[in-house]
Amino acid sequence: MKNKFLLVILILIVASFALSSCTGGGRVMASGWPGITVDDETAYVSFNQHVYAVSLTNGVEKWRYPAAVEKNVSFYAAPAVTPDGQVIVGGYNNILYSLNAANGQSNWTFEDSQDRFVGSALVAAEQIYVPSSDNKLYALNLNGQPVWAQPFATEDANWSKPATDPNCQCVYLASMDHSVYAINPATGKQIWRSEMLGGAMVGTPAVSDDGQLYIGTFLDELVAIDTSNGQILWRFPTQGWVWASPTLDGDVLYFGDIEGNFYAVDRQTSNQIWTIKSNGAIVGKPLITADGIYFTTEAGTLYALTLEGSTRWTKDFEATLHSGPLAVGDTILIATDEGGLVLFALDAEGLQKWQFSPSEEK
Amino acid sequence: MWDAVITVFINVLLYIYDFVGNNFGLAIIFFTLLIRLVTYPLNAKQMKSTQAMQDLQGSKEWQDIQKKYKNDKEKLAQEQMRIYQEMGVSPFGSCLPTIIQFPIIIALYQSITRSLAVTPLQLLALSKHITNGATLIPLNRQFLWMDLSQPERLIIFGFSIPLLAVIVAVTSYLQTKMMTPANPNANDQGAQMSKMMNLYMPLFMGWLAFSFPSGLAIYFITSNLASIIQYGAMGKLDWKNLIPKKKTA
Repeated sequence: MKNKFLLVILILIVASFALSSCTGGGRVMASGWPGITVDDETAYVSFNQHVYAVSLTNGVEKWRYPAAVEKNVSFYAAPAVTPDGQVIVGGYNNILYSLNAANGQSNWTFEDSQDRFVGSALVAAEQIYVPSSDNKLYALNLNGQPVWAQPFATEDANWSKPATDPNCQCVYLASMDHSVYAINPATGKQIWRSEMLGGAMVGTPAVSDDGQLYIGTFLDELVAIDTSNGQILWRFPTQGWVWASPTLDGDVLYFGDIEGNFYAVDRQTSNQIWTIKSNGAIVGKPLITADGIYFTTEAGTLYALTLEGSTRWTKDFEATLHSGPLAVGDTILIATDEGGLVLFALDAEGLQKWQFSPSEEK
Repeated sequence: MWDAVITVFINVLLYIYDFVGNNFGLAIIFFTLLIRLVTYPLNAKQMKSTQAMQDLQGSKEWQDIQKKYKNDKEKLAQEQMRIYQEMGVSPFGSCLPTIIQFPIIIALYQSITRSLAVTPLQLLALSKHITNGATLIPLNRQFLWMDLSQPERLIIFGFSIPLLAVIVAVTSYLQTKMMTPANPNANDQGAQMSKMMNLYMPLFMGWLAFSFPSGLAIYFITSNLASIIQYGAMGKLDWKNLIPKKKTA
């Protein structure tokens, strides 16, 4: 009987561990990957419990926010930088932070959201547009005050960074409620709503100069929408969910799916120009430079392609890569997230210039 | 292998979710009932073994050897094994079905939490399990007053009450009390252990419901009530166990 009792106690302990390992025990911890934004001199990287400012010259940390780990403060959304030197970043604790880009000191916070921030803020025309998991899009001025009488409401969470279109003074929001919205930036009123696309969206739409919007969905499609009225122009089928934002270069759209397929599609005809199969899920937005195309895979490989789809080189990082590559001048930034953040600065041939790993807490 | 099990569970859960009109709370309830149905032979075997063990431990022969060999543990163990064999009762008969069900409970819980996918990495991981349900994503996490991905609290007059945790603890206690036959030897070690477990187990379940996403609490409550109803249908509920007995000298 004693053995039986011990067995039951053992089962209870194992059950606790088994359940805890699935959920993190209810603690509010980031479960995403690094978000990177740059200005001329600095990379701002949000990851887990900090936002880091890193010198683009040598990879040295300038500041981190918060200076020491704070309970329940963690970040997934990539920071946004305003023209007046603020770093705007939303946290998993439902709080939007404005930090001084020069020293990382807090300017103000916005705490109206009822759920966590996953999507990055868009800064346009001196307004900040913040998507939230509480089914809202908030518009703030640069002092953190709401601009609209009411936040714009959707039917599900918003994880996508909004896009803008100077031609029509619109803000476009791709929502997890399967719809794309065009919103008046002055009033927060809906201009149009697309038909239900059948799949959630978490990427940022690409918008062309001639009024077309492109967005990938979880229905295994890339969809083109007429920005004047929200009508669907065409649908391009893929082999898996399209998580990453498409990148538009001339008349060609470049994007990947989570089955590891990378596509080049003619935006006028929706014809596939070429496709290649990579070694893992493609989650980050591809980068197009004068040298060609760069994209990352979850398997930890950075691919460098020509615009015609030939592989120039690949580089393995032996860690998962979810964030897309980012270019600053002739430097390409890559952030790994497995086992902790490492930010790499590479040249166009993949040779390392410097790397940054956050030091331990002081 | 484990991932394959989770994949099956998630897809069945999503199928039910779709069938019941995108209500994840109802999907958990129906999925729990489905699991109970599938594991019914194991449950029935466990109930039968528990009853047989209780009958055996209440028998005169068992009591006699307890007294006779109370100072000779080795001999007592030998005699106990002899009685087990003669009566055709396995000492682990009531334990094994529980152990076999344990991975099912963990898989069910993991499939619930993975389906709710409230973070980007969780959603990305979920995409690898879904075979034909991408149109259902993201799942509706609201059920009654609860966010199924968060521990439940009901706000009443400004006070945050963990109502589901209380219900889980109470239904677990009722289930244990009503389904455990009274041990005639209240003073023996086994009875003391059972008494302790009957108290601690509901508290443990209540703590899990208090700490983990409310989807788990929905599962516990459904499972507890299903057990009680199943026992009742078999005519084995012991209502008298709910009434505290006077201690006899």
